[in-house]
Amino acid sequence: MLFWVIAAILTLGASLAVLLPLTGGMKGASAPGDHDLEVYRDQLSELDRDVARGLIQPGEAEEARAEIGRRILRLGAAERPASASASSSRGIRLVASLAVLAVPLLSWGLYGVLGSPDLPSQPLAERLAKNPADSSVDELVARAEAHLAANPSDGKGWDVLAPIYLRLQRFPDAITAYRNAIRLDGDSAVRQAGLGEAIASAAGGIVSADAQNAFEAALKLDPANAKANFYLAVGLAQEGRKDEAVAAWQKMLGQLPLDSPWRSAVQQALAEAGPPAVAASGPDAQQMEAAQQMSPQDRQAMIETMVAGLDDKLKQNPRDEEGWMRLIRSYAVLGKPDQAREALGRAVAAFGADSEQAKKFTAFAASLGVTATE
Amino acid sequence: MVETGHFALVLAFALSLVQMLVPLVGARTGNQRLMAVGGPVTVTGFALTALSFTALASAYAGSDFSVANVWENSHSLQPMIYKITGTWGNHEGSMLLWVLILTFFGALVAVFGNNLPATLKANVLAVQGMIGAAFFLFILTTSNPFIRLNPAPVEGRDLNPVLQDLGLAIHPPLLYLGYVGFSVCFSFSVAALIEGRIDASWARWVRPWTLVAWMFLTGGIAMGSYWAYYELGWGGFWFWDPVENASFMPWLAGTALLHSATVMEKRSALKIWTLLLAILTFSLSLLGTFLVRSGVLTSVHAFATDPARGVFILCILTLFIGGSLALFALRASSLTAGGLFHPISREGALVLNNLFLTTATATVLVGTLYPLALEALTGGKISVGAPFFDLTFGPLMLPLLAIVPFGPLLAWKRGDVIAASQRLMAAFALAIAAMLVTGLFIDGGSVFAALGVGLAVWLIAGALTDLAVKSGAGSVAPAVMLRRFAGLPRSVFGTALAHLGLGLTLLGIVGTLCFGSEKILTMRPGETVELSGHTLRFEGLFPQKGPNFTEDRARFLLIGADGNANGEISSAKRFFQARQMATTESGIRTLGLSQLYLSLGDEGNDGSVVVRLWWKPLVTLIWGGALVMMAGAAMSLADRRLRVGAPARRRKPAAALTSPT
Repeated sequence: MLFWVIAAILTLGASLAVLLPLTGGMKGASAPGDHDLEVYRDQLSELDRDVARGLIQPGEAEEARAEIGRRILRLGAAERPASASASSSRGIRLVASLAVLAVPLLSWGLYGVLGSPDLPSQPLAERLAKNPADSSVDELVARAEAHLAANPSDGKGWDVLAPIYLRLQRFPDAITAYRNAIRLDGDSAVRQAGLGEAIASAAGGIVSADAQNAFEAALKLDPANAKANFYLAVGLAQEGRKDEAVAAWQKMLGQLPLDSPWRSAVQQALAEAGPPAVAASGPDAQQMEAAQQMSPQDRQAMIETMVAGLDDKLKQNPRDEEGWMRLIRSYAVLGKPDQAREALGRAVAAFGADSEQAKKFTAFAASLGVTATE
Repeated sequence: MVETGHFALVLAFALSLVQMLVPLVGARTGNQRLMAVGGPVTVTGFALTALSFTALASAYAGSDFSVANVWENSHSLQPMIYKITGTWGNHEGSMLLWVLILTFFGALVAVFGNNLPATLKANVLAVQGMIGAAFFLFILTTSNPFIRLNPAPVEGRDLNPVLQDLGLAIHPPLLYLGYVGFSVCFSFSVAALIEGRIDASWARWVRPWTLVAWMFLTGGIAMGSYWAYYELGWGGFWFWDPVENASFMPWLAGTALLHSATVMEKRSALKIWTLLLAILTFSLSLLGTFLVRSGVLTSVHAFATDPARGVFILCILTLFIGGSLALFALRASSLTAGGLFHPISREGALVLNNLFLTTATATVLVGTLYPLALEALTGGKISVGAPFFDLTFGPLMLPLLAIVPFGPLLAWKRGDVIAASQRLMAAFALAIAAMLVTGLFIDGGSVFAALGVGLAVWLIAGALTDLAVKSGAGSVAPAVMLRRFAGLPRSVFGTALAHLGLGLTLLGIVGTLCFGSEKILTMRPGETVELSGHTLRFEGLFPQKGPNFTEDRARFLLIGADGNANGEISSAKRFFQARQMATTESGIRTLGLSQLYLSLGDEGNDGSVVVRLWWKPLVTLIWGGALVMMAGAAMSLADRRLRVGAPARRRKPAAALTSPT
């Protein structure tokens, strides 16, 4: 509402700027010649000063004086007749009224197309100051970030923020937050396991050596930590040591309390591990659910269809780094080393043999027991 | 507030349409009321644009990410100064700054233009209105900074790290004040062409605008050069980069305009040529505006990404440059030529100056646009760099610089070269001595170095000679001379200072290019390096955290002859998280007029780091000289004598000579 009032006042002011001069009285006009004469007089006196300073020879000065004199004479002769009828003819009145009308019509019309009048300003400070209950998760995170930027040694703050980052899939931030929490508030199994999960997720689900170290540190503090146990097993599966992974998961099932949220994850992993494993990224939840209710043969068939689909997708769009890694892993896990090798070859070709990605693929494949064909 | 700014911008556009049409009709029909609309509308348009700009700046200051432009170019953790300067650190915002300055200058003409003939004022404001309308429309349709996002993103994408520097606060506003200042000269020229006559005082009205624009452009270019020097970490101060050339071309043409306007003002000669120069200068400014921000240069790509914007820019350029030149072709023949002069005279010298400067401008223009044209036509990519400009621009500048000291010493209408040469004997002797000393006694002196130093000394001494001669040195008693010196018109000081500044800049360039030295090496903490008599010890790399970046700062101690540390230089590599970009902060220490310049390369695993070290003798003179040139322009601007008095129409309404016959 306030905006429309302001807009109306501005429009009024702008229209008046057009209207007032049109209705105002006529000032006594000066003929253009007056201005010229003033200049010529100035030039004459300046000429005298230049002569005194020796900037022009007396002879030339005389000539120049004559030139200026001639110009003054010409001025009188060329004086234009008093300007055409100043009385407002119809055309002029038309121009005037058009001009006055154009300002509000044009501005409101154009603004109606371009503007977003209903959208209030949202400076950051205002957004941060409103009731937390009304804020979105993003805003709460921003508020926590602002707090931590001011107090970077608040370990508890980092500890709270880290799992939220993880859930928001801001993995690099999650890594930093967990590291800060560990540095400031000390080691704990939960923090180490979280750090491991963040590192693994940042790498697209691959349990790297860094992640493994974190999980192992967590287990040192709490041997029963479910997250660490689970991911270490995932890492085993990714390395191709499927039997050990299955054993680890089965051991977990024996130890986990019945109401543990990890039970279903482990069961799912076990179901896929016989033979397929790992679900860091790939089939969506619906497909997974469907897969659980199928017979083993059907499940195998479905997984193979999905892998074939991925393969096709990569043929059309070969610059998908994560996709290639998933494909190589899938073939390795499905027990099709030839196809895994072939996929590796195509992945390397897609990015060029010397590229960063190619090196990454080769290393990744090697960790799964797949070596490039030469 | 944001939407108020948006609305004010739309309203300002509507007013600019009124401003471009109504006074024009008024001037054609001789209607006083229609002409009178120009003034208030221009001032109101400026107020609205200022409101709009303030709204955008406050959205930046408050990190209002519901504005798309703020979200794209700002971050809540940036220091406040960079939040605000970020307003014009992007295409949309900088265009808004451009029209803000345009309307500001228009308002100045409207407020202080009471001494202008009514029709001329109306026409000038109308032309300003045309430029304004084109830019407002361009902003609103293709580069609108007020486009909103709903819901607002929580965090912005950060300002380009290279721009997070104090240079952004100073350089673009100065440059734009220069570019847009020439729009007033352009408007005066086009107004004169529309009217078909040039008032005798035309040059006097245009003179202060030329000076103001030239002064700011000089400052803007110098600031840009210094910014590139310390921010890019390459140690160079001028790269003949298209973006630099874009600002240099209007400067060259503007310098020519400044000189030809002097002739026109004093002697009513060179009228038509001055009009043309004013048009060309602003045309180059327009080209410069778009080259920098919107990539006419990389047009092939820019057009692909945003065809509407590219086509719009082409239309603006064609309309204003083509339109004004067509008008010029149509009307120039009906304008009367002015005073006569001999070839050897002050006027002649200034014509020569114009000849060299415009040719130089053309050279730079060719060097800048040729690669583009070639790429557009054949697809081949070539790069025109320093070698081209050294071979073409250099030889044009040498004779021009050599004749500079003669100009102010020649008399108007008919000059005497011999007499002027005699007065310059001392300066000439000084220059020769400087050449000999450079060539014979200074290490690394080459023919080019000797010539350059000699030329610089010649310019400086020549400027001082001018002042001495005009105060009557040698012919009158010292007391009289002092009195005369104090009584010299300020414009004489202005000329001398500007020429002196030119000499200083040249000395800085020659000093840096010919006597500088450079070293690239890998250093480990504790190691020392010696360059041109200065010893530096590397203390090590220290990680630090800034508001929105982290950095590795390398500290170096400057070791004096006695083995004690007497000063520190530090250079850093910064990493900006939001944009995932790294920048290099060079380390600079000024010793006298010279600088020790240091920039970091790659780090090794063992704490070693690649260090590039330059010794840049006299380098500060390059920019110091530009400051002196600006001071000269300011001095000239302050010369009250040359202000135009309004005709005393109330006291003596009809002087004998002007009464209608």
